[in-house]
Amino acid sequence: MAEYRITDTVDITDVVCPVTFVKAKVALEELEEGEILSVHMNDGEPVQNVPRSIKEEGHRVLKLIHNEDGTFDLIVQKA
Amino acid sequence: MKIIVAGAEKEYADGLSVEDLIEAEKVETPQYVTVTVNDSFLPNTERTSRILQDGDVVEFLYFMGGGAADR
Amino acid sequence: MAFTNEQLERYSRHIILKEIGPKGQKKLMQARVLIIGAGGLGAPAALYLAAAGVGTIGIADADVVDLSNLQRQVIHSTADIGRPKVESARDSMLAINPEIDVHTYYEYITSENISGIIRDYDFILDGTDNFPAKFLINDACVLEEKPFSHAGIIRFEGQLMTYVPGEGPCYRCVFKEPPPKDLVPTCREAGVIGAVAGVIGCLQAMEAVKYITGAGDLLTGRLLTYDALKMQFRTIRLPRDSHCAVCSGERTIHAPFDYELPSCDLKNR
Repeated sequence: MAEYRITDTVDITDVVCPVTFVKAKVALEELEEGEILSVHMNDGEPVQNVPRSIKEEGHRVLKLIHNEDGTFDLIVQKA
Repeated sequence: MKIIVAGAEKEYADGLSVEDLIEAEKVETPQYVTVTVNDSFLPNTERTSRILQDGDVVEFLYFMGGGAADR
Repeated sequence: MAFTNEQLERYSRHIILKEIGPKGQKKLMQARVLIIGAGGLGAPAALYLAAAGVGTIGIADADVVDLSNLQRQVIHSTADIGRPKVESARDSMLAINPEIDVHTYYEYITSENISGIIRDYDFILDGTDNFPAKFLINDACVLEEKPFSHAGIIRFEGQLMTYVPGEGPCYRCVFKEPPPKDLVPTCREAGVIGAVAGVIGCLQAMEAVKYITGAGDLLTGRLLTYDALKMQFRTIRLPRDSHCAVCSGERTIHAPFDYELPSCDLKNR
């Protein structure tokens, strides 16, 4: 059983920087404080930058899951 | 006395009226300039009677058109 | 309303800003701004507001593009000479941002039509060059309770103030009546540097964006002056006139009216 309940998911594999972060930010905006967003992203630039930018906005990064297909799921709790 | 005119500190002799200041500062088309003293509008009719005091802040507000001839 | 990926990309620099964010961008996309005058001030303002994604932009001007306009009216091109300015402006705005709606008013703004036109908009930009028009826009906006940005430019100088209903003074609080024709120099006679129009027109666009998104402090109760030669910006505090003919409790102006049109302006058209 997961230690968190995902409220919403967003796929940012179809966009490139800086829209990757913008898309995640917009999705977080839709959530209430404490709710959890799963951000599906590619390896490389997104995984390097998006978690850091999200932390800078004050949100809590709970987990970064490395999927078998090389993509990542970033689990973020909205602050 | 020292007064602030359009943001700059100026030295003037005591007893200076707003009318005197307008002349000394060579204000263009003074009859169409709005004057504020210490952030209050000064009616044009009080320009000669209003004697400035040390520390007063005077601004001249000018008509400016510009933009497009819309009509 | 969800953003498309294209919108996220187009507006990403706005959305990243804490003061704008997704909410502010949505407000911009739902906003309606009217620009009166597609000239030196209206040109940069219209371009930036279109680029910002203001959902509906109205533009009013009865003039056609003239060669002498192009030194500062950057929304028009040489190929537009002779075309109505509103059409040229619309084409330029839509070329930047095809997502927005542009409404054109190829007519003079008068006491007859102004109230009906401004009623449809959230914020009005005064980009006109003459005092009868400036007083008309002020009076109509006060009476219709519409916020607007006043601006003027001449030579190397510009000025700007924002009126918000219920707050701060209106243009008529500061300037009681239009000056008689020819006693105050106009750009046509005195000249103006194109970039001054750009600076002040962009500041008008900035005020519109701030009003719509709620970001920051508006230029209410203050007159901003710009002197390009001294490279100085100043803000001058403006009181309200408790006897103002249009915005005070002693109101004597109850409907917009036209001051007489100077005959020389008519000839120059």
